[in-house]
Amino acid sequence: MPREIVTVQLGQCGNQMGSVYWQRLCAEHGINKEGILEEWATEGGDRKDVFFYQADDEHYIPRAILVDLEPRVINTILTSPFANLYNPENIFVSKDGGGAGNIWAQGYGAGEKIYEEVMEMVDREAEGSDSLEGFMLMHSIAGGTGSGLGSFVLERLNDRFPKKLIQTYSVFPNHAEPDVVVQPYNSLLTLRRLVDHADSVVVLDNGALARIAADRLHIQNPSFDQTNQLVSTVIAASTQTLRYPSYMNNDLVGIVASLIPTPRCHFLMTSYTPFTGDQIDQAKSTRKTTVLDVMRRLLQPKNRMVSTTPNKTACYISILNIIQGNVDPTDVHQSLLRIRERQLANFIPWGPASIQVALTRKSPYIAASHRVSGLMLANHTSIASLFKRMLDQYDRLRKRNAFLEQYKKEKIFEGGYGEFDESRAVVEELLREYQACESPDYISYGTGEADAS
Amino acid sequence: MSNALHGLVVALVPAARRDERLRSELTEDALHILNSHIGSSRQVDIGHIAGNIRSKLSAQDSLRFSNLMGRLLDQDLLTRKHAVLQFMAALSASSNQPQPIIPPLVPSISRSSPSSPHPRSRKSSIAPPPQMVNDRTTTATKSKAQLLREYRLRHGRPQVAESVLLRDTLYLLQGISGKFVKFTEGKGDGELTVTFSEEPRYVLPAPTRALILRLSELGHLYVRVSKWSLSHHLQSQLTEYYRLIAVLESQMSQSGAAEDDGRGGGPREEESGLTLRRLEVWVDEWRLRMRMMSVCVEGCQDSAGGALVSLIYGYTDNGDPFVRGFTDQLLEEVSKPFFQTLQRWLFTGELHDPYSEFFVAANEELAHLQYTHAYSNANVGVLTGDGGFAGAEDEERNDSDETRNNGLILWEGKYQFRKDMLPSFVGESFGRKIFSTGKSLNFIRYSCHDSDWVATRSKLDHTGRALKYSDLPGLARSIDSAYQIASKRLLDIFLDKFRLLDHLKALKSYLLLGQGDFADQLMEALLTSLSRPANTLYRHNLTATLEAAVRSSNARYDPPDVLRRLDARMMEYSHGEIGWDVFTLEYKVDAPIDTVIDPEGMEKYLKIFHHLWKMKRVEGALSASWNRIACGARSFLGPTIKGVRRRSSAHSDVLERLEGEWHQIRVVLSEMIHFMRQLQAFCQLEVIECSWKELMDFVTKKDGDLDGLIQAHRNYLDRMVKKILLISPKAGKEEHLLIQVRELFNNILQFRDAAETLYNYCLAEAARADSERDHDRGVFTISESDGLGASKSADNLPRILRRVKEYSGLFTERAQAIVHSLQLHQDLDCRFLSVRLNFSDFYKTRKELKAALEASKAS
Repeated sequence: MPREIVTVQLGQCGNQMGSVYWQRLCAEHGINKEGILEEWATEGGDRKDVFFYQADDEHYIPRAILVDLEPRVINTILTSPFANLYNPENIFVSKDGGGAGNIWAQGYGAGEKIYEEVMEMVDREAEGSDSLEGFMLMHSIAGGTGSGLGSFVLERLNDRFPKKLIQTYSVFPNHAEPDVVVQPYNSLLTLRRLVDHADSVVVLDNGALARIAADRLHIQNPSFDQTNQLVSTVIAASTQTLRYPSYMNNDLVGIVASLIPTPRCHFLMTSYTPFTGDQIDQAKSTRKTTVLDVMRRLLQPKNRMVSTTPNKTACYISILNIIQGNVDPTDVHQSLLRIRERQLANFIPWGPASIQVALTRKSPYIAASHRVSGLMLANHTSIASLFKRMLDQYDRLRKRNAFLEQYKKEKIFEGGYGEFDESRAVVEELLREYQACESPDYISYGTGEADAS
Repeated sequence: MSNALHGLVVALVPAARRDERLRSELTEDALHILNSHIGSSRQVDIGHIAGNIRSKLSAQDSLRFSNLMGRLLDQDLLTRKHAVLQFMAALSASSNQPQPIIPPLVPSISRSSPSSPHPRSRKSSIAPPPQMVNDRTTTATKSKAQLLREYRLRHGRPQVAESVLLRDTLYLLQGISGKFVKFTEGKGDGELTVTFSEEPRYVLPAPTRALILRLSELGHLYVRVSKWSLSHHLQSQLTEYYRLIAVLESQMSQSGAAEDDGRGGGPREEESGLTLRRLEVWVDEWRLRMRMMSVCVEGCQDSAGGALVSLIYGYTDNGDPFVRGFTDQLLEEVSKPFFQTLQRWLFTGELHDPYSEFFVAANEELAHLQYTHAYSNANVGVLTGDGGFAGAEDEERNDSDETRNNGLILWEGKYQFRKDMLPSFVGESFGRKIFSTGKSLNFIRYSCHDSDWVATRSKLDHTGRALKYSDLPGLARSIDSAYQIASKRLLDIFLDKFRLLDHLKALKSYLLLGQGDFADQLMEALLTSLSRPANTLYRHNLTATLEAAVRSSNARYDPPDVLRRLDARMMEYSHGEIGWDVFTLEYKVDAPIDTVIDPEGMEKYLKIFHHLWKMKRVEGALSASWNRIACGARSFLGPTIKGVRRRSSAHSDVLERLEGEWHQIRVVLSEMIHFMRQLQAFCQLEVIECSWKELMDFVTKKDGDLDGLIQAHRNYLDRMVKKILLISPKAGKEEHLLIQVRELFNNILQFRDAAETLYNYCLAEAARADSERDHDRGVFTISESDGLGASKSADNLPRILRRVKEYSGLFTERAQAIVHSLQLHQDLDCRFLSVRLNFSDFYKTRKELKAALEASKAS
C-alpha cells in the first residue's frame, strides 16, 4: 500500500519539465531508459512504487499522464531514448494538433472536448493504485495549454477526487521578459483555479530561475533544458522524502499539512542549494558545504526560486528544509540554534512556526560533488508581491481591453468577462490574506472580514 | 679477716644471726668473692706475665716465646701489650684441648660442616696439658661461670649440662619438647609457650634461659610453618632447614662422643663443637627466614590464591634486600599455580581452579546454562518454520523464560570477579581485562558456539608465551594482546555471526518507528480496530495486519531473520481498555544476542515505542483531520469571496457564518501540527539519531569488550528513555512532564473529535442546502428523515462549537505550560525541545504573560 502519486503533465512546459524529471528519477532509482532496474541498483531503501508501477514484465513505468494539444514536445519525448519508459496509453495529443495558441480560453475550451479521454487515463491510474494519495500537476500558467487545459483538469480532478490531494508545480512567467502578450490574462485565470482547486502550489518563477542561472551558475541565457534541469532537481528533492522513507514526512499530506495552515495560503516557494555541474552544464561549483551553510543559504532571498519584492514585514508562515546527504544529526541541532540566535528568519506572529528539518538519503547511484544539499519548501508572505505584480500587469492590459477577442470566442466568455473579474477578486483576496498573515490579528481573519463587509 | 666477714654477715643479714649454717655459708661466699679478682685492675708488668708464661713452656718453646716476645715489644702500634699477653695466657689456661680458636660463625651447609675442627692455631698447639690447668682450678684464671657451676655442683644443685640442653634445644628447633625445656600449649588460643622444667634439682641460669628462649622462637615458628605448608617452595625451604638440624645434630653427637672418650662426663661444653651460643649464631639467618615464612603462613591462614600472592607481593617492597630476595623467590614459586590458571583462563577461557584460589569465580548455578542455548535456539527455529507468528501463547512464554535466564545473566553472572583475590601486582584494570578476556573466550566457545574458535586460539597462541611472575612487562603485553584479540573476536561474532547490528537497526526501525512508511502503514491498517475495546481484538488479526504492513512497506527488504522476530500482540488488559492502550509491537531476541539486548533493555524499547506510537497516532489523526478540512475547503468549506459565485456547492448561510470558526480551528490545528511535528522531529533527530550515532561510534571503533558494548547499548537506551519521555531528575516528579504531554495528546484527540463533529455537521448542512436548492428546482434528492437529522444537529451547533473552543483553549494552555516547563528542564536536550517548539518566540515567557495580563487588566 504505497501512497501513490499520479503525475499529470500538461502543455509544452509541463511535458518538458516532466521528461527531465522522469529522467532524473530513473537515474536516482537506478532504472534505465527502458524502465528496467539496473543490475547494480541493489542498494534498496528507496520506494519506487510511489511514482512508478511495475508492468507484468517487471518494467518500471511512471505513473504519469502526458497531455498536450500540440504534438511537438511529446514527439520529441517519443523520439528520445526514454520513449519506451512511458505507458503509451497515458499519452494524449490532441488530434487536430493545433495547440491552444497561447490563449487560456482555447486551452480551457479544448478541455471540454478531450475531457473524456484524459479522465479515463486518470481513472485508470487511480484504480491501478492501492491507496492513491494525490496528484501532481506540472504546467506553466502563462501559455495556453498548461494554463487553460490545466485549469480545466484541476477543476475536474477536484470534482472527481474530492478527498485526494492535488499539488501543482506551476511555472510562473518571467514578468520582465514576457514571452506571450496575453500572459497576464492567462496567469490570472489559472491562478484562480490554483487558489480554489489545488491544495498546494509550488511556485517556480521563470524570472527567478533565469536569475539563478545567471547569478549562481553564470549562464546568461539559459536554455529550456538547463532551466528544466533546475526545476527537475527541485521537484525531485521535494519528493525525496516520499521516495526514501525515513521516520517522518513519508506522505505528502504530512508535508503539506505542516506547511499550509490555512487553505488559501498554499503557494510555496522553493530554494535549492547548491546547484552544480551535476545538474547543469557549465556550472561552477560553489564552496564547501556544511549543514549550517546549506540552511543559511536556503534562507537567502537570492536563492529563492521566486522573485519577490523585498519587504520588511514579510515573514515565513512555515519552512521545511529537506536536507540530503550524509548529515551528522548533531549538525542540524547546532545549525538550528545558530539560525535562531542570528534571527535569520522572521516568522508569523499568530502561531508557532519553526524550521522543520527532514533528513533524507541521497540516491546512492548518483555521484554528487557535494556532501550535503538542501531544498527549502517555504510558505512566505512575500509571495504576495508576485500576485500584486500579476494583478498590476493584468489591470494594465485589461484597462486597454487588449487582446480580448481571442477569449470571447470560447464558451466560458460567452456571457461576458465576468470570469476575469471573479478571478481578479479571488487573486486579490489571496493577496490580502497573505498580507494579513503578517499581522497577529490573522487569527480572527475570517470573522473580522465578515464583520467589516 | 674471717671474723670481720662474720661480723658483717651478721650485721647485714639478720636471718643469719640465728642460722649458723647460713652464716657460715655466706661468710664463705664472701670469702670467695674476696678471693676472686672481680673489679681489681691488675697492674701486672709485662715481664711478670712473660715469666709466668715462660714457666709453663718447655725450654725450646720458651726460646721461641722470647723471640716472639721481643718482636711484640717492638711493635709501636700495640699499646696494651700486657693485656694481649694476659689474654693469651688466660686462653692457654682455659683450653686444655686443641680446638679452633675461631670457629666458622655461620654454619655453611653447602660448603663445610662445622664438625671438622682441626688444629690450625699455633697457640692451641702450645697449650699446656689439661692436667696442668685442672690443677689450677682454684686459681683466678678460672672463669666466673665455671666457678659458679662448680659452686653449685658442690651444693648439690648442679647446673644442667649444656650438652643436655643442647639436645633439648635441637628438639625445640623441630618443635618437639625436650627434657628440660618444653613446649606447652597455651589455654584457649593454642599458642605455644616455652616452659622450663621446674625441678629444683636443676638450675638453669637466666642467660641460658634467655638464649634457649630465643632459639625456641625458631622452633615455634617452625611448628607454625610446618603445620600449614604453603607450597612447594616452603617445602623446599623446610627441607633445607631439616638438613641444617641434621647437621647440627650430628655435630652434637660427635662432640658428645668426644666427651665420652675424654673424661666420662666432665662438664666441658666449652671445648665441644656445638654450644648454645654457636647454635644461636648458626640459626640466626634461619630465624629471619622462618619469620618471613611464618608471616606468610600467618597471612595465608584465611587467604589463598590471588590474595596470597598479593600478600606476599606486599613484602617485595621491603627495604631489606634479603627479605626482598626471599619474597621474590617465594613469589615465583607461589604464583606458579596462579599463572597456570591465568594462562588457561586467558588463552582458552577455561577456569581451572579446583581450590577456588583464582580471582575469577564461577557461579555454579549458571554453569549448566550454556547447554540450554542450543535448545532455545532450536525452539526459535521451530517458530520460524511456520512463519514465526503462530507459536502458541504458553509455548512462547516458556521460550521467553528460557531467554530470560540466558544471555546477559549468563554473561554477567557465570563468572565473577573477586577483587580480593586479585594479585596486587596485576592491578585492577589489568585484572578486569584478564577477567573480560577469559569471559569473552568462554562466551565465544560455549554460548556462541563459534566454529572459528580454533582460529582465534591459534592467534592467541602466538601471543601466549609462558606467563610468570618474573616477566611482569611481558605479562602486561600478553594480557593486552589477548584482551584485544578476544574482545575483538567476541564483538565480531556478535556483529558478524549474530548480526547484532541488524537487530539493533530493526529495533530502531520498528520499535522506535524509524521505518516511517512501515509505521504509517501499520497505523493506517490498525486505526479502526484499535479504537475498539481490547477484548474484541484478536491476536491473529494483529499479526496479519503486521504482516501486511511489512509487505507493503520497505520493511519487506529486511532479512527474514529480522522479520520473523517482529510480532504484534496485546498486553494484559483490564476492563474498559481499548486497543490503543494494549497494542504493542514486540521484537524477540534469543541467546546470545540477548546478552546485549536484555529483557530489561527490551522493556525500555517498549516503553519508548508506546510513547512514540501515541505520538504517531496523534500525528496521523492530525494529518487526516487536516486533509479532510483542506479538501473540504476545495468544496463546501471553501471561503467565500464577495462577488464570486461558489462553484461546487450550494450557498448556505449557516456555512458562511461558520467560516470564522473554521479559520480558528485551522489555526489551532496548525499549532497542534507544529507541536507534534517538532516533538517528533526532536525525538527522532535530537534523541534517537544522535544516540544512535554514539552507539555506532562504539561499534565501528570496537574499542572495548562485550561489556563495553553492553554498556554502550545501555547508555543508548537510557539516553533515549530519559529524553523522549522527558524524564526530570527531580525525585517524585520524574514523569511530571510526560504526564502533561500525554494529557496534551488526549486533548488533541478530543479536539479532533470535536472538529470532526463540526465537519460532519457542515457536511450535512451542505447536503441540506443542496437538497433545498434541488427542491426549489423541483427535484427531491433527500429523504425526510435525513433532513430531520440535519436540523436536529443544528440544535447541537452551540454545544459542538463550545467543545471545539474548550479543547482548543485547553490545548493552547497546556502547550504553553509544557514549553515553560521545558525551558527550565535540567536536561540540555530537553531544553532544546522548548527552543524547537518556541522557535519563533510565539509562546511568551511566564513574565511576559503576566505583564500582558496586567496590561489587559489595566486597559
